[in-house]
Amino acid sequence: MVALPQKALWWPSRGTLFVADVHLGKEASFQAQSIPIPMGPTAETLNRLDALIRSTRAEHLILLGDLWHAKSGRTPKLVDDFIAWRTRHQTVKMTLVEGNHDLKSGKLPANSNFEEVAEPFLVPPFALSHYPEPCADGYVLCGHIHPGVLLEGRGRQSMKLPCFWIGKRVAVLPAFGEFTGCARVSPVEGDQVMVVAEDQVIRVPLVS
Amino acid sequence: MIEEIKAWFLQRGWSAFPFQEEVWSAYLNGENGLIHSATGTGKTLSAWMGPIAEWMAENPGLTKKLIKRSEAPGLRVLWITPLRALAADTELSLRLPIEELGIPWTVETRTGDTSQGLRKKQGEQLPTALITTPESLTLMLTREDAAELFGDLRCIVVDEWHELMSTKRGVQTELALARIRRLRPVVKTWGVSATLGNLEAAGQTLQGLDTDFRIVRGHLDKQIIIDSILPLNISRFPWSGHFGTTMIPPVISAIEEGGTCLIFTNTRSQAEIWHQQISAARPDWAETVGLHHGSLAREVRDQVEADLKSGKLRAVVTTSSLDLGVDFSPVDRVLQLGSPKGVARLLQRAGRSGHRPGAPSRVTCVPMHAFELVDIAAARQAAIAGKIEDREPLSKPLDVLAQHLVTVAIGSGWRSREMFEEVKTTVSYQDLSETEWDWVIDFVVRGGESLRAYSEYRRVVLGSDGVYRVEDKDIARRHKMSIGTIMSDMAMNVQLMTGGRLGTVEESFVSRLNPGDKFLFAGKALEFIRIRDMTAWVKRAKNLKGAVPRWAGGRLPLSNQLANAIRQELEYAKYGELRDSEMQVLAPILELQSRWSAIPAEDEFLIEQVETNEGHHLFFYPFEGRLVHEGLAALFAYRISQIQPITFSIACNDYGFELLSPESPPLAAAIAAGLISSANLAHDIPASLNAVEMAKRQFREIARVAGLVFQGFPGANKSAKQVQATSGLFYDVFARYDPDNMLLQQAAREVLERQLEQSRMAIALQRLEQSTILLTNPEKPTPMAFPILVDRLRETVSTESISQRIQKLTVLLETEAG
Repeated sequence: MVALPQKALWWPSRGTLFVADVHLGKEASFQAQSIPIPMGPTAETLNRLDALIRSTRAEHLILLGDLWHAKSGRTPKLVDDFIAWRTRHQTVKMTLVEGNHDLKSGKLPANSNFEEVAEPFLVPPFALSHYPEPCADGYVLCGHIHPGVLLEGRGRQSMKLPCFWIGKRVAVLPAFGEFTGCARVSPVEGDQVMVVAEDQVIRVPLVS
Repeated sequence: MIEEIKAWFLQRGWSAFPFQEEVWSAYLNGENGLIHSATGTGKTLSAWMGPIAEWMAENPGLTKKLIKRSEAPGLRVLWITPLRALAADTELSLRLPIEELGIPWTVETRTGDTSQGLRKKQGEQLPTALITTPESLTLMLTREDAAELFGDLRCIVVDEWHELMSTKRGVQTELALARIRRLRPVVKTWGVSATLGNLEAAGQTLQGLDTDFRIVRGHLDKQIIIDSILPLNISRFPWSGHFGTTMIPPVISAIEEGGTCLIFTNTRSQAEIWHQQISAARPDWAETVGLHHGSLAREVRDQVEADLKSGKLRAVVTTSSLDLGVDFSPVDRVLQLGSPKGVARLLQRAGRSGHRPGAPSRVTCVPMHAFELVDIAAARQAAIAGKIEDREPLSKPLDVLAQHLVTVAIGSGWRSREMFEEVKTTVSYQDLSETEWDWVIDFVVRGGESLRAYSEYRRVVLGSDGVYRVEDKDIARRHKMSIGTIMSDMAMNVQLMTGGRLGTVEESFVSRLNPGDKFLFAGKALEFIRIRDMTAWVKRAKNLKGAVPRWAGGRLPLSNQLANAIRQELEYAKYGELRDSEMQVLAPILELQSRWSAIPAEDEFLIEQVETNEGHHLFFYPFEGRLVHEGLAALFAYRISQIQPITFSIACNDYGFELLSPESPPLAAAIAAGLISSANLAHDIPASLNAVEMAKRQFREIARVAGLVFQGFPGANKSAKQVQATSGLFYDVFARYDPDNMLLQQAAREVLERQLEQSRMAIALQRLEQSTILLTNPEKPTPMAFPILVDRLRETVSTESISQRIQKLTVLLETEAG
């Protein structure tokens, strides 16, 4: 299993990609409330997914919840763009593990050609979820919290970066979507943290 | 009519001051004006009695007791006050003369605290005189019948104008006044202000460009004494910003001297700490020492104000939240803990004491660490020399304009040309360009350039009659809610699990807390439990062991006048001339400073280079105040980092700043390459801000005012939560997908002009490049360096790649809670 700087997990032996918290249409849902956010994040998010599928030649894309941000963000234009994107990757199997935003956004648009499943979705040895809850049936891969950490060092330097947060029973992926941000998490002894820094994934030491 | 008013004064055993009579006759003569005078010298009545005399002249022999509210005349006087806390006191003082003179007027308050019942009555008929805040005034403009509301308005009084005018609330007030003058051209405006260095500009900003006005100098000959409590043993007095316990006993004795004592601090957290320390030292005073600051819940503050007035409290520890108040209860003693930071502010605080005619006002300064003694001596010298600070009006903030356009669109609506001309009559927007105007209209109508393709967006709609209006009720409702909250920082309620709201703290503080963490707030030791529904839930803690030391609170920067005075004071010290007792007490520390390093004269620029186990420190001492230092620090860090890739963490105080790096920085090469040069600033300053963190922070306020970030309201539904994002995220999205957005440009401009005071920065550099550089290499941080060193709020400037930097960093592990 490889953590990619594109904020995805790649399982080469199965040709499977995992991505969490894509939040399509988030800018449009703001606009629907008359908050003037520019268009662009959704298109850029789909472009990045294009590039990721091409470079890995993935056969299966599994989304760990929150594919769409809100029902109000599903404008005709964005739905068209989404279907066109899906059509470009017709041979790739796609699965959506439903997250909190998906449940409120409703069923995916017709012709989405997605397998929509509830959590936990078992792909041994993994239990795929949206929420970071341990599961008796497998090691959990999930999203939801948009993890990030604060790095600190000599000379009182610090920086906040999105990360993969890998624990004993649960691994949380960084949010993939453009317009998402990250929330600071608190790792504990035994965890692994890999930050996404531009085009690299870097494991960072944890100290007490 | 003036004779009748003078007779009433006599009847009360007062006599009218000449400046009061000057204001009354000027008002009756149809003039506008600005009154400046010291606190507690009759400013309120000078502004208030003119409109009363006017009514008496128009209604001869009509004086009688008012029986029914509905029989009172409609709105004639609007009284704008910057603080809700002042409204109640103002109402009392305005009532007194109308009751005693038998004027059948109603005087009422309308602020965010006004009860539903009274609001309803006011919705049907406004009182004759309405006391309100800038936000509530702006809200009145959202009424469709705004023109009728102001149909009989004669006079607008803006109280404490000096507090408003350099803020966005001041700009909001300018715009609202321009609107009211358009609706009702005969209205007269009178401002009441403390003394400023630039009264002419203050008056013009209040009146707008098209109005003539008179400046009335009030009663200023009150004697002011600035003294201090000196530490007994300076060698044991702390060097850093954290006060020791040394000053607690003398503060306690000052309180013991009797009467009511106001104890001012510069930050809210300091107020909390001192309140706690005083209570710990004198448990028998638990009921009689109060705490008052801007983060405390309204009810908590009201109680303290009431107790202060009734004489129940012997002392109140407070921040600038009790700075204002013409008619606030007089006190016997005023203490200033820590540096005064500004001359005008110190004089104003002093003015809270000695309200009796002829009695001097006195403020006693209490230094918190050694070098604050210099600040006190310098403040006294500046006050004697009459060097009072200016306050500058803000220049065309587009966020406030966007908000105003939506406000008026909800009310009567506006036409582009007419509105442009109206807005241009304000000092703040006098230079507004057609391009900027078109951009703001586009922003409120279509959401700006990037939303052009999106047809469903509609905040403000252009009707076929050429009038811009808001049609959607939800948009109108949301907008009205955000007018009231524009200036509050992203704040989180603090509430006890057992019930009882204590107040609010910055979200950034709460987000750093872990369950079980303890902190001091509202005079109580609290334990943090969890965050839910934008509320930090807490319970009482048994003790403060392991408490989180402080929450941020605002920090006052040193004023330019005081900064100048401090440089002068140090020059005297360098040559052994110690004029004030504070400087004499400080002598041993000054001696240490000059032995380890040096004391800079006015034409010298001291730089100290020190290595510790934290890394390599460079301390620079321009003595220009924190704001200028933040800019200079970023600029210097940028210029040094152009010579070799390096990462600095930066800390500032009012005396200087520190650049700290893990490796030794190429200082000599940087100085040779023009480190201190005032050339290329137009390029170097924006480049040094490239880390954009500052602009991003400034954007928080802009995003809120312009209506991007909606803070929600109690009981907001889920759909409201789906459109919440942090302003930082907004900034990133704009920077990437709509880089020409003028609000981003405004953020950058505000950082330069307001936060960094770019013009002061340029002047400072011109001074510094003429100075002789004093470069020293002390073995350890000097007395002057120490307070900067311990500052934990830091910025980073870097020219290293992220991966280079990460190799030197780690993540702190969560330790077991408890």
